[in-house]
Amino acid sequence: MDKVTLSKPYLLDSSDLTKEDLYKIFHRADFFMQNFKVGNKFDDLKGFIVALAFFEDSTRTKLSFELAAKSLSAEIFSFQAKSSSLSKGESILDTFKTIEAMGVNIYVVRHGSSGIPLFLQNNTDGSVINAGDGKHEHPTQGLLDAFTIIRKLGRIEGMKICIVGDILHSRVARSNIQILNTLGAEVALCAPGTLLPFYPKEWNVKIIDNLDDAIEWAEVVMALRLQRERMESGLLPTMREFSNYYGINIEHFRRKPDLVLMHPGPVNYGLELDYLVNEYSNVMIQTQVTHGVFVRMALLSLIGKTMNKEKNAFANLFDM
Amino acid sequence: MNILFNNILAINPIQNLNERINLHIIDGVINNCSSDSVITHQDTQIIDASDFVAAPGFFDMHVHFREPGYEYKEDIHTGCLAAANGGFTGVLVMPNTMPAIDNAPVIGYIQGKAKDNLVDVHVSGALSQNRDGKAMSPMLELADCGALMFTDDGSCVSNSELMRRIFRYASSKDLLISQHCEDHGITHGFAMNESPVSDILGLKGYPALAEELILYRDIILAADAGNRRYHASHLSTKGTIEIIRDAKRKGLRVTCEVTPHHFSLNDNLLTSYDTNLKMNPPLRRQVDIDAIIEAIIDGTVDCIASDHAPHSIHEKEVEFDNAPYGIIGLETEIGVTSSILLSNKSISLNRFIELLSINPRKLLGLPDIFIKNDNIANLTIFSPNEEWVVDKRKFKSKSTNSPYIGKTLKGKPKFAINNKKIFESTL
Repeated sequence: MDKVTLSKPYLLDSSDLTKEDLYKIFHRADFFMQNFKVGNKFDDLKGFIVALAFFEDSTRTKLSFELAAKSLSAEIFSFQAKSSSLSKGESILDTFKTIEAMGVNIYVVRHGSSGIPLFLQNNTDGSVINAGDGKHEHPTQGLLDAFTIIRKLGRIEGMKICIVGDILHSRVARSNIQILNTLGAEVALCAPGTLLPFYPKEWNVKIIDNLDDAIEWAEVVMALRLQRERMESGLLPTMREFSNYYGINIEHFRRKPDLVLMHPGPVNYGLELDYLVNEYSNVMIQTQVTHGVFVRMALLSLIGKTMNKEKNAFANLFDM
Repeated sequence: MNILFNNILAINPIQNLNERINLHIIDGVINNCSSDSVITHQDTQIIDASDFVAAPGFFDMHVHFREPGYEYKEDIHTGCLAAANGGFTGVLVMPNTMPAIDNAPVIGYIQGKAKDNLVDVHVSGALSQNRDGKAMSPMLELADCGALMFTDDGSCVSNSELMRRIFRYASSKDLLISQHCEDHGITHGFAMNESPVSDILGLKGYPALAEELILYRDIILAADAGNRRYHASHLSTKGTIEIIRDAKRKGLRVTCEVTPHHFSLNDNLLTSYDTNLKMNPPLRRQVDIDAIIEAIIDGTVDCIASDHAPHSIHEKEVEFDNAPYGIIGLETEIGVTSSILLSNKSISLNRFIELLSINPRKLLGLPDIFIKNDNIANLTIFSPNEEWVVDKRKFKSKSTNSPYIGKTLKGKPKFAINNKKIFESTL
């Protein structure tokens, strides 16, 4: 098995990644973590132009990809545009074609509408990496979460992991569930009925109705960010009720001090998490951010190599 | 122009006709429809039609021709061309134009544009003024101007009391009331069917029950107002099919139509995020498709209609969430319906013709078509076994938003003949 290429030269959703792909990425991320020194660049993406095309506000994901691509010696340019480019009369495809004409090879795309990475991949010879699309997927978050669990607990297969909060609208949850399933973890969901998917049985997950039971069951709990618009749209009665019934607080840690807690950030303290939980060393929020850079470096590096391999394959075809 | 179809299979269920004839049409009038051999003039086009079927002209009772208001998507002229190209000699246009068909002058405008066309363009009127679901439209006057059916299609009348009044008001002329069944409170902002697929894709779903709730409500209201005539548009779920079956069993004057896309495509296809698969109602599950096909076979479904909904490329080549609902359908309707139902003999040619011609015409109160000497020909000629690949360059519609492009279909329209005009399909 080839150590340096993935099964696909792009990443649109987590189903593009096989178990082998996942471990190759983690292995490479480990390597970068061990060998990273500020000011010392790797040349994995030398000659690549990476566009950070963020059609939706983002701070941490964009910075993380930017640092990752820079550390691999890529040329990068980035832009952030408000979601509906239609409003100024320019379609997303127009915008994308404009970027493509500048010679970009890799597109890191964040967009408020589900399905945009696939739409763009269908319209380019380059490679698209999904950095979050609507309510669909955020695969690199799933990758860095899995990497964090492995580094923290030594393994992931058979681990009990519960995702708590707004599953229905969460791209982080979708990517995590897919990746954790691929890696053989046991996954449970805990959420109010209006924030669960409609057909959770199809997801190969267990539903735990009560947060106390969920925390007792789980070795790792992933809390999700709750958007305030869920209250406005009437899916939840009040913030207070959500926080009382689904918020993770210091009591949970007093009862189970070895609980590993993750959150993709940014956190609504007082809503899905009590600020005090940060006292516990098993709260991984900052670690996740750090790991994010190395995991994205690993992904970019492997995608670059996979693209080169495919290009060479075509070159050989023409030689014959 | 004169034309002779030699050895064509002529089928017309209402005259118990099912035989091979030499069909000769002179100046748009049927001159011979027997097996007698025909002596022709020089200017007659002679066609070996042994593989073709001649049927009473097909009628699509659910099309959007977008005029007035959205002529960049389609207009009455191109809509009629698409209809004729797809083998249709008559259509019923939906009232969601701009302005809506909620007043007599708009009907007059459309009739003026459609004059002298091969395709008979009939209109449906809006149920509510401006189609905003607040106050009844002047249905009596619209009916006198030619509106054959009433619907707010594209939207559903949400207010139950308004719907109740509409049924009661319709009684004096026994008007045909139709509904686009959709509980907007549930479906607001939907992108596809609510199913395991929408869960995975992170798209907002439209659950089957939102269609079923309104249909059930309307049937109760129609019955309560004195068994009014009620036609459910483009049904897409197993549940609504069952509600119709039940209502018919109870003797209610309830009818329904289904579209070819709802019995040929399922929502698993949405994983491609192809905006030509975004429609309202959305593509459903395979169980729904199976239920619709069963209902077509057993007679629960009255007719097939395309819901021909043109949108321009720039409107569809956008984020899935932002794309408008709908696909064009007139030019693939015979092909898709025949591929799914005729080619495996699920239904007979007789039933096929009932679904696409006899039943919609009967429902709308249009005169029966007879294939007999001295009648002005109103005919659809199609080739039920011919395989063809859908090529968007051959469409006559102004728009190309079709999920069938590139697909191979079995069953092809050949000619549309009506109003002393003949159109040979270019598909």
